[in-house]
Order: sequence, then C-alpha cells, then structure tokens
Amino acid sequence: MRLGWQVGSFTFFLLFVCAIWLSTRLPLQDALGPGPGFFPLWLGMIGGVLSAVLFVQMLRKPVPGHEGEDLMPDRPAVRRILAVLILLAAAAMALDPLGFRLTALLFTAILLPALGARSLIAIALFSLTASLVVFHVFYYILKVPLPIGVFGI
Amino acid sequence: METLNFLLDGFAAAATPANLAFALIGCIFGTLVGVLPGLGPSAGTAILIPLTFKLDPTGAIIMLSAIYYGAMYGGTITSVLLNVPGEAASVITCIEGHEMAKQGRGGTALGIAAIGSFIGGMFAVCALVVVATPLAALALEFGPPEFFALMLVGLCLVTGLAGRSLIAGILMTVAGLLIAMIGIDPVRGAPRFAFGVPELYDGVDFIPVAMGLFGIGEIMLTAEKPFREVIKTKLSHLFPSREEWRNSVGAIARGTGIGFFLGLIPGVGSIIPTFMSYIVEKRISKTPEKFGTGVIEGVAGPETANNAYANAAMVPLLTLGIPSSPTIAVLMGAFIVNGLTPGPFLFQERPDLVWAVIASFFIGNLMLLILNLPLVGLWAKILEVPYQYICVGTLLFCILGAYSIKQSVFDVWVMLLFGIIGYLLRKLDFPLAPAILGLILGPPLEKSLRTALEMSAGSYSIFFTRPLTLVLIILSVVILVVSALKLAPQEIRQTSED
Repeated sequence: MRLGWQVGSFTFFLLFVCAIWLSTRLPLQDALGPGPGFFPLWLGMIGGVLSAVLFVQMLRKPVPGHEGEDLMPDRPAVRRILAVLILLAAAAMALDPLGFRLTALLFTAILLPALGARSLIAIALFSLTASLVVFHVFYYILKVPLPIGVFGI
Repeated sequence: METLNFLLDGFAAAATPANLAFALIGCIFGTLVGVLPGLGPSAGTAILIPLTFKLDPTGAIIMLSAIYYGAMYGGTITSVLLNVPGEAASVITCIEGHEMAKQGRGGTALGIAAIGSFIGGMFAVCALVVVATPLAALALEFGPPEFFALMLVGLCLVTGLAGRSLIAGILMTVAGLLIAMIGIDPVRGAPRFAFGVPELYDGVDFIPVAMGLFGIGEIMLTAEKPFREVIKTKLSHLFPSREEWRNSVGAIARGTGIGFFLGLIPGVGSIIPTFMSYIVEKRISKTPEKFGTGVIEGVAGPETANNAYANAAMVPLLTLGIPSSPTIAVLMGAFIVNGLTPGPFLFQERPDLVWAVIASFFIGNLMLLILNLPLVGLWAKILEVPYQYICVGTLLFCILGAYSIKQSVFDVWVMLLFGIIGYLLRKLDFPLAPAILGLILGPPLEKSLRTALEMSAGSYSIFFTRPLTLVLIILSVVILVVSALKLAPQEIRQTSED
C-alpha cells in the first residue's frame, strides 16, 4: 500500500510539473486581466507542492488506516480484471467497423464466461438480447445513432 | 402567490403522460441502481444519462432526478437484506436494518424506511418550493467573487471530508480542476492542453470520466473478488406494529430536519446526515444499549434523513448552481449536456422547466413509495440474478453511453482510461468525489475567479473587501483547518465518498 501511495504521489507530481510547464507557455496575463495560463499555473503549483509533501510523508510513515495492507489481487482476480480491460479495449476498436450489434454480441458472449458464467444457454440468450434489444431501444425508440458497421448489421 | 402559480404550472407540465412516464422509468432505474451493490448512484446516474439524449430537456431532467432519488432509496434494500450497502448513504442502515432482517423483521425495516423516506422527501420538496425563489433572487445579487467563494466552500467541504488524507483530497480536487482546463479557455477562447487532438478542443466530457471513475472502476474492483452466490430472500410484514410506529415517529421527524438542513449546505455528502441522525437517535434513546440489535429508530431516522437530504440537495443546485455531492455533480453535468446551466438565472430563463422538475419531485416521491412498499419483494428478487450478468450488462451500457455522447469512439477510450485510473485510485483509497466535483466546477470556478480579478484590475483585495466573500473564504479555510486537525468524526471522514 505504501509503495502504491509513493508511486501515486510521484505520478501526480510529474503530472502537475507538466501542467506548470504547459501553463507557462500560455499567456498568464493580458490587457484585460488573467490569461488562459493563470488558473492552471496556480493549480499546477498547488498540486505540485502537495504531491511532493505527500511523497515525502509516504517515505516516512505508513498510509493512514492501511498499515501493512497488500494491494495485489490474486491470480484469478487479475485474469478477470484483464478480461474486462482487454474486452473493453477490443469493443472500442470494433465498434465502428463491426457495428454496435455485432460488437455487443461478441463482447457479452466472450466476457461472461471469462467472468465465470457457465450456462451456455443463458450466455447465448443474454448476449442476443443485450445486443439486439439494446440496439432496438436506443436506435429506433430513443433515436440515438449507433454504429451499423461494414456488414450492415 | 407567484410561487404557487409557478408550482401549479409545474404540476401541469410534470403530469403530462410523457413526463409521468419519464419519472416512473427514472424511479425504476434509480431503485435498480440502488439495489445493485457495487453500482452507486453517481455511476448509475452517469451511466443512464444516454437514455435521455433525445428527450426534451424537461423530460430528461425529470428522469435523471428520479434516477437520483430512486437510487438513494434502493440502497436500503440490500443494506437490510444482505448487510451490503447499495450506496454509501445506506451504510448506517446495515447496522439496525440487517439485525431486524435476521430477526425476521426485514419487511418492517424496509416498510418504515420507505415511509420515512417519503415523509422526509416530501417535507424537503415543500421546503424547496418555499426557499427556492427567495434564494435564487438573493443569488442574483451575487457577483463573481461571491460565486467563486461559494464554490470554494463546496470544494473544501467535499475535499475536507473525503478519505483519510486531506492532502490526497486536495490533490484529487486539483486534478479534477486541471482536467476541466483541457479545451477552449472559457474567458478568452484560447485552446489549452489539447495537444492538437481535435476531440480535446471541446474539453474532456464529464460523462465518460464519471462513467470510468465510478462505473468501470467499481466493476473492476468487484471483479477482483469471486462473484457472490445467488441470494434468496424472504419478506413479510411490511407495516410496522403500533409500538414500532410510536418509536419511529420522533426519529422520522428528527431525520427530516437533519437531512433537510444538511442538504442545504454545499459539499456535505449524503453519508453525513445519515450518520448524524443515527448518532442523535442513539444519544436521545432511553435504551441506547439496544442500538446494534435491530432498533427501528436506527432505520427510520437515517433513512428519512437520507431522502430529505437527497431532495434538499437540489436547493443549492437549482438556486446557486452548486452541487452538494458527486451524484448531484453528475446531475449538474446532465443539465449542462441538455444546454441548461443550473443556478439563479435558470429561474428567470426557464421557470417552466425548473417548476416542472420541482413538481416532478412530489410525483416521484409518491411513485417511489408505491414502487417500494408493495414491490419490495420484486426488488429483492433482482438480487437473485448472477452478478456476472449485471456486470457485463453495466459495461455494455457504459460503452453505449460513452459512444452516444458525440457518436465518437474517442469517448469510449476516455472512459476506459479513467476506468483504469479510477480502479487504481480506489485500490489506493484516494477519494474520487473531489475529482468529479472539481471537473464539474472547474470552468465556472475559473470564470468567476478571472472575472473577479478583471473587475478589480488584478487586485486580490476584491476577495477580502466584500463581506460575504470574506466570510465564505474564512469558512473555506476553517473547513480545511478542521479537517487537517482531524476534528471531523472519523467514521464520517472514512466513508464520505458518495
């Protein structure tokens, strides 16, 4: 946990330093008053100082309320989390070329067993319903444009 | 008299078949969101915003408001039956509610929660009707310095009460504010932090960020643990006995007062009124030692306070444009998506919409009572759906929601990125509520600050020479000092995430 907070506060520090650098490239003041770089510069400086303080704090004492806690999930948990992430990324990539219905069908049909669902009939029914009914409700009833894809489905 | 006329016009608009249907759908979806553990009201409201994209703004806001207060009630069901709070405000209900359920009085606990929620909600909406117009008129007198200071108070409250580390809370607020800086500068129109990416010139939309941080992050955290077994529940005796009624009346009255007054304060999350109500009930009880063994006042008071808070929290949003909690911030984002800016000007520009939405709160509270008393067994049945299906369905809805904002896959990627960030931050126990509030309040906060400084030709004295601004700034400092000295009750600090 402590290492996580150290990495987290250091990452924040780097982001705030980047924000300060980018803000100084924008006008900080103009004839009318504060410019576009004014507020982000202040935010970057506040964030930078506080993240540095937090980093130093974490070098010296444990995370309050989480002393000795382990962050790493076990192997099956990592597999489930990776399945969620990979399939979300795959769905984002497939959405425009394959269309919503096909993407939703594949997404649900692959992710459900990956998360531990076992009944093939239930998985097939859920995937078909999720893709077709959701598409119908949003596209035809709520008039929300959804991608059709190269196969026209 | 004018208020009454506006309210009657509001009822006429809210009672159209279409708006009644939107309120009902909102209540159903909201209760569903509340019932499902692991999907809080912030995530649920954000995920369901796409349902309203093609609705007229009045219908959209009516539906989303109903989702919000529906979710605030729905959390009670899992708290009582499973000892798993559906949302943060229901944490305290677990203590007495689940004990009651173990004694076979789960139905009574849910019944008194529904009745208390109805009374608290109705009182809060009545009070909203009374205070809305004068408060909005008062807010019209506010200048940019006052609005800046008011938003600062809200941010400081959320930051100060979030999580165990004040520094982490401030960092998250600043991070949210910085993300809000991406896109076109609201005062001069100059692009900032867009790195030549066309999609970033419009700024980072809050919906994919909220869906990612709250929705995807929560699901990834849930996926860490083995999925729980299907839970079968049995309910009977929804209505309390005469003695239980006698014990609950005072708790409901006190819960209403506590929830309403705390709901008026920007930045006080939903958890505080419920904790406070529980503490008050325990302190004034003749038998405090019985608390923890299934005391009905311990359910009636906090649940009433929760719903009174949920409705009262609409006061600062509608009259001042200040969100009180992350869920209200998401709701504020929904107003913005629909081309509306909550605040005093909305009462002048769109009184039809504001009063229709307020009138819909009365209708929605009544709908929730009807939905929750006789149908509570049906909601409990939803818990029998294997959780894998709920997770996958929610993820699919997230993809759909993020895509349909601008019909762009870019927003799906943004959601995924913030999902990973949300998961990691949750694992580290960094508070997420300040980030989402910072993201929503970033543009108006910056605009108020810069306009105020333009008014004073760059002099910061403008924040110290106007009495109200000075009081609010001192209040912000006091909140941060109190928080830094850890004077806020520990249990409130640890669970103040919405």
